[in-house]
Amino acid sequence: MSNASVYPTPINAFKQSKRSVLSVIVDNEPGILARIVGLFSGRGYNIEALNVTVVDVENNLSRITIETLGEERVIKQIISQLEKLVPVHSATNLANLEESYEAEICLVKIEFDNDDQDQKILNFADIYRTRTVQKRQYLVVYEISGTSERINKFLDDLTTISGIKVELVRSGPIGLGI
Amino acid sequence: MITNNEITGAEIILQALKDQEVDTIFGYPGGAVLPIYDSIFGQNFLKHVLVRQEAGAVHAAEGYARSSGKVGVLLVTSGPGVTNVVTGLTDALMDSIPVVCISGQVPSHLIGTDAFQECDTTGITRPCTKHNYLVKDVNKLSETIHEAFEIARSGRPGPVLIDVPKDVQFAKAKYIPKSEVTFKSHRIKSGSSEIDIQFIEKLVEHIQQSKKPVFYVGGGCLNSGPQASHELMKLVQKTNIPVTTTLHGLGCYPGEDPKSLAMLGMHGTYEANLAMNECDLMINVGARFDDRVTGRLDAFSPNSTKFHFDIDQSSINKNVKVDYHTNTDITLSLRAINEHIESRGVNFNQSQYDQWWSQIEEWRSKNSLFYEQGDEVIKPQHAISRLYELTNQKDTFITTEVGQHQMWAAQYYKFSKPNRWITSGGLGTMGFGMPAAIGAQMANPEALVIDIAGEASFLMNIQEIATAVQYKLPIKIFILNNEYMGMVRQWQELLHGSRYSESYVDALPDFKKLAESFNAVGVRAKNLSELDNAINEMISVDRPVIADIWVDKKENCFPMIPSGAAHNEMLLSKYDKEKPENQEKGKVLV
Repeated sequence: MSNASVYPTPINAFKQSKRSVLSVIVDNEPGILARIVGLFSGRGYNIEALNVTVVDVENNLSRITIETLGEERVIKQIISQLEKLVPVHSATNLANLEESYEAEICLVKIEFDNDDQDQKILNFADIYRTRTVQKRQYLVVYEISGTSERINKFLDDLTTISGIKVELVRSGPIGLGI
Repeated sequence: MITNNEITGAEIILQALKDQEVDTIFGYPGGAVLPIYDSIFGQNFLKHVLVRQEAGAVHAAEGYARSSGKVGVLLVTSGPGVTNVVTGLTDALMDSIPVVCISGQVPSHLIGTDAFQECDTTGITRPCTKHNYLVKDVNKLSETIHEAFEIARSGRPGPVLIDVPKDVQFAKAKYIPKSEVTFKSHRIKSGSSEIDIQFIEKLVEHIQQSKKPVFYVGGGCLNSGPQASHELMKLVQKTNIPVTTTLHGLGCYPGEDPKSLAMLGMHGTYEANLAMNECDLMINVGARFDDRVTGRLDAFSPNSTKFHFDIDQSSINKNVKVDYHTNTDITLSLRAINEHIESRGVNFNQSQYDQWWSQIEEWRSKNSLFYEQGDEVIKPQHAISRLYELTNQKDTFITTEVGQHQMWAAQYYKFSKPNRWITSGGLGTMGFGMPAAIGAQMANPEALVIDIAGEASFLMNIQEIATAVQYKLPIKIFILNNEYMGMVRQWQELLHGSRYSESYVDALPDFKKLAESFNAVGVRAKNLSELDNAINEMISVDRPVIADIWVDKKENCFPMIPSGAAHNEMLLSKYDKEKPENQEKGKVLV
């Protein structure tokens, strides 16, 4: 049995691609997320991660953060298309700002069955300064935040411990221009 | 608390339409819009045109909008009423036509229950409208309608849909007039109103320095209003620069003028496409570098400096990278250029482009629209040429269906004014032309409105002939009948080894009898000697006419740039032995 998807893995298609984080301010109204997601799927753009939350209750604004892959030209086109949507106030490529900051949050549940594993897990948790959300015998839940890269490294390090079971959730990156 | 000045949602809709100066609405009733139809009954400012299928309503609204410059409006019921207009909304989006569609929806409490004639209207129409709404609160209805109209006509125009549940049509609220609504600026994407003076100076500088300039004019010039054409003509007269137009740009510059190179693109003239290929300065006025125009992108106008006027920011650098652009409205920009030239006393050396013009004349002498009309069988090109000769003294509006006849109409019918040419370009919707003619005739009751059709396209919305008869709209359907889906047949001949798979239309109706059965008039021309009489009879009758013109079944539309070929790789005629190099590659394109 093959696990291959019927869709081709787009590794080559994104050779020229750069990762970009787009920050979009929108009116918080029904259908806005569908409009944005539909724009990406309809035009064949890529969504790597997506985050949506109301950020200004008084003015009814949400901020949508989208991580995408594409050539510079494509990213510019995505921004133009986003800005055409009626409820969109602004769309910004954070990479184009002089100063911007990014963060992501990740919850990791780790199940294990011996003390040796426990020690190794604790060690990484200490190095990465995770916050312990829950700990009981042979189970721990950590919260780690920071750049996506930092979280990736932590998760990579965990894979060096054999025999543990990891389940996780990530918020996707959020970012802010200064 | 209900006060005296509260009215029902249905009445609010009518009030808002009146406030928006809508005088015509195309529609079809059904369960979910009955309250609105009740308000239509017993009023007299709004003329409702009952179509025979909702697709007809949306194309009629498009025809109305294109021929009048106003917003086209339609009213349809929930479920199938709405799904039937999806094609037309997509058509209006692709061709930037301002349309407002009001649709009924099942009552709010039934939404999501798979109720009778329920569908996710805003979900289905989201990608095919400029914007859409589901109005759940009657208090927001007035403002929503006013915003919808503003969005439809501002910036790059397009279709907007307002879905109104039946209970909202019954609920009461105070009507808010247009004059009391302020729009949030970010929601109206109207382009910039500031003149980009640097762009203008650069352009004038480049015009003075260039040796081989060309204007490439598209539908954006049309959408900017008739003044844009006026300013364009002034600028062309001053600078002596040749003008080519896209399918939608036809009429923005007079087709009979010697500076016009006629249409460019896949079925454009030899001189237009070679001028685009060899120019050193391209001035794009409201065109979007569509694939039908550019041909193979890597060979598209390789040596030109490109200026692009487009109100839509996303059209800039989408397909073709340009050197300079402005998003300001075209009329404003062109006027500013003309004023700049006058106030600065900029002089153009009239002989500066002599060499360029003599090159163009050489290309023109190839006579790429040449065809041989024999004695008997009517050539479709000749039919259009005769139609043009016999109607160009009148105020004539031409709509078309989609296919060979559409391209021949674009090639052989010459337009001297904007808004006289109404065709489905971007989406290429067969069945567009006749309902569009109904809309154009509603907007221009005194004008001669002709749908140049193919028999296959005409059959797609043939039911609308009843609409024309009911409202005594004397539209003319001029069918170039070749019994084939001509353009499909042509591609099969050129690219698929003449295997005419399913492109022959057997069992066609007798169009003359068909017209008579609808209480319209039928005329027919079987051969050349009958052609002029048929056209004259068609024009002289003050009723809807179907003219069945039997034309050469095997005629192909030339010149042609096959898909995947470059501008300088045109096929000029069937005698042109050079087969396109990229035939296999072209086959996979559309």
